[in-house]
Amino acid sequence: MELHELNIQETHGLLSSRKISSEELTRAYLERIQRLDPQVKSYVTVSGDVALEQAKKADERIKSGEGLTPLTGIPYSAKDSISTRGVNTTCSSRILENYKPFYDSTAIKKLNSASSVLLGKNNMDEFGMGSSTENSGFFTTRNPWNFDHVPGGSSGGSAAAVAAGLAPFTLGEDTGGSVRHPASFCGVTGLKTTYGRVSRYGLIPLVSSFDTIGPMARSAYDVALVLEAIAGHDPKDSTSRIEPVQSYSESLKKAESLRGLRIGIPKEYFVEGLDKDVDASVRAAIKQVESLGAEVMEVSLPHTQYAIPVYYLILFAEASSNLAKYDGVRFGMSERKTGDLMDVYLKTREAGFGAETKRRIMLGTFALSAGYYDAYYLKAQKVRALIRQDFQKAFETCDALITPVAPTTAFRIGEKISNPLDMYLSDVFVVAVNLAGIPAMSVPCGFSNGLPIGVQVMGPHLSEETLLRIGHLYQMQTDWHTKHPPL
Amino acid sequence: MSEKSQIQVDEKLVKDIASLARLDLTADETAMFVSQFKDILDYVSILNEVDTENVAPAYLSSSSKNSPREDVIEDSVSTEDFLANAPQTKDDYVVIPRVHVEQ
Repeated sequence: MELHELNIQETHGLLSSRKISSEELTRAYLERIQRLDPQVKSYVTVSGDVALEQAKKADERIKSGEGLTPLTGIPYSAKDSISTRGVNTTCSSRILENYKPFYDSTAIKKLNSASSVLLGKNNMDEFGMGSSTENSGFFTTRNPWNFDHVPGGSSGGSAAAVAAGLAPFTLGEDTGGSVRHPASFCGVTGLKTTYGRVSRYGLIPLVSSFDTIGPMARSAYDVALVLEAIAGHDPKDSTSRIEPVQSYSESLKKAESLRGLRIGIPKEYFVEGLDKDVDASVRAAIKQVESLGAEVMEVSLPHTQYAIPVYYLILFAEASSNLAKYDGVRFGMSERKTGDLMDVYLKTREAGFGAETKRRIMLGTFALSAGYYDAYYLKAQKVRALIRQDFQKAFETCDALITPVAPTTAFRIGEKISNPLDMYLSDVFVVAVNLAGIPAMSVPCGFSNGLPIGVQVMGPHLSEETLLRIGHLYQMQTDWHTKHPPL
Repeated sequence: MSEKSQIQVDEKLVKDIASLARLDLTADETAMFVSQFKDILDYVSILNEVDTENVAPAYLSSSSKNSPREDVIEDSVSTEDFLANAPQTKDDYVVIPRVHVEQ
């Protein structure tokens, strides 16, 4: 097997037995990125110098044998909305094209302290707004399984990098499906964490009450290894959860069956518009989970159809507020050739933001403006409460829920870009999770015409261990997650 | 959003919002947003079906309480680091164009 096909556990084995050094491993990944990424286009920035420096440090640590973790010396990449000190962090926006943070986000800091190796930053829809990376201010990432198709979004570059063997794992960010949707389209395992489980400090915000950092990797076990490294309370994020972090990977090692687990199948997620092959693969995955000992039952989440309008109204409002700081004064692009300060604001924002970002800023400004606040933003927050109640009720009788991640496999580049509403509807199965702040995972469960299909497992707040266990035991019996695109 | 398409989405409304949002939209963008906003606002008006008479809004994603840190003085970022990304600086200050230019 080739280096780029190994999972974290296998790679860690090679490093700790010193069959390979972190520097050799890092050089192999950088070489592969140089060779293949001009086609895949998953990286906005490749931080080769930083990576080699970090790899040398990791090798010293491995030589000393002290303080080794499963992630020591392992290369990774991060979505370009996660701040990295001295390495460009652009959110794939022209307005932040040359922005270099002077500090690391907490998640990155934790990976630094494990001596992981940052390969670079991944392309995304601008500020996380989109489901295809077509809204990136720079270029569109291609699906490694078929270059004519999108990788999903908004963490599309991250998912494509893992699928193409251009990083063993990556940090994605999920505001309304942005980890799970591309994980499904690219055939990798991606976890949207409980809101607050991973610190948001240094994560450039899109929707502050939805945003979560989550790992994407080649297996549920690898995701568990990354999660236990980056999760935990952070004094710098007052919304981070204080509950202690479980040893997820240890628990997976002991897992044998799903006996005693009750799995709900929400009927509202198996409706018209769901692709036949997706439906069949997800149902086959449910059967497999049942054969592992879980009890399967139908449940109802009656407000499901309102999740998309609620999600988008809240997103418009919070995003328009969060993006007000890009004004050409303290950082980022600044158009100041003529005129007064107001001209700087107007011209910088007009030149720096892409069409979708402007559309959402406009809709959010409208939804928050005098006379419309109650009708749009407040109404959406009320329906959000009902959607949360749906989940609370379902979790009174179930330990987890299983649904599709997306209604179809990866669509073609260009197929939905001219119709924003059509693009929004591609998120129909993923956004409710963010409204409720619960965790959910995308696990590869099949293919249709050569494109991957993902199954979604959702659970109550802080149920990451349960979700990972379901994913891990499923992956012990299936090989969908071990397939590699022919590149 | 009491009634479908009760709000008149026209060029004037889009221009007013653009001015609030500090976006200097082109004529093409303005025209595009007029038609797209109608569709999107019509679509979200589906929320009118839901009875929320006695529902309290859910502003946060979880029931977990915020955990603010103690207010202890720590080392802060250096002015040099802080200003390194600024488009224009002088001494320890950010430079901006005049707030108002006489027409």
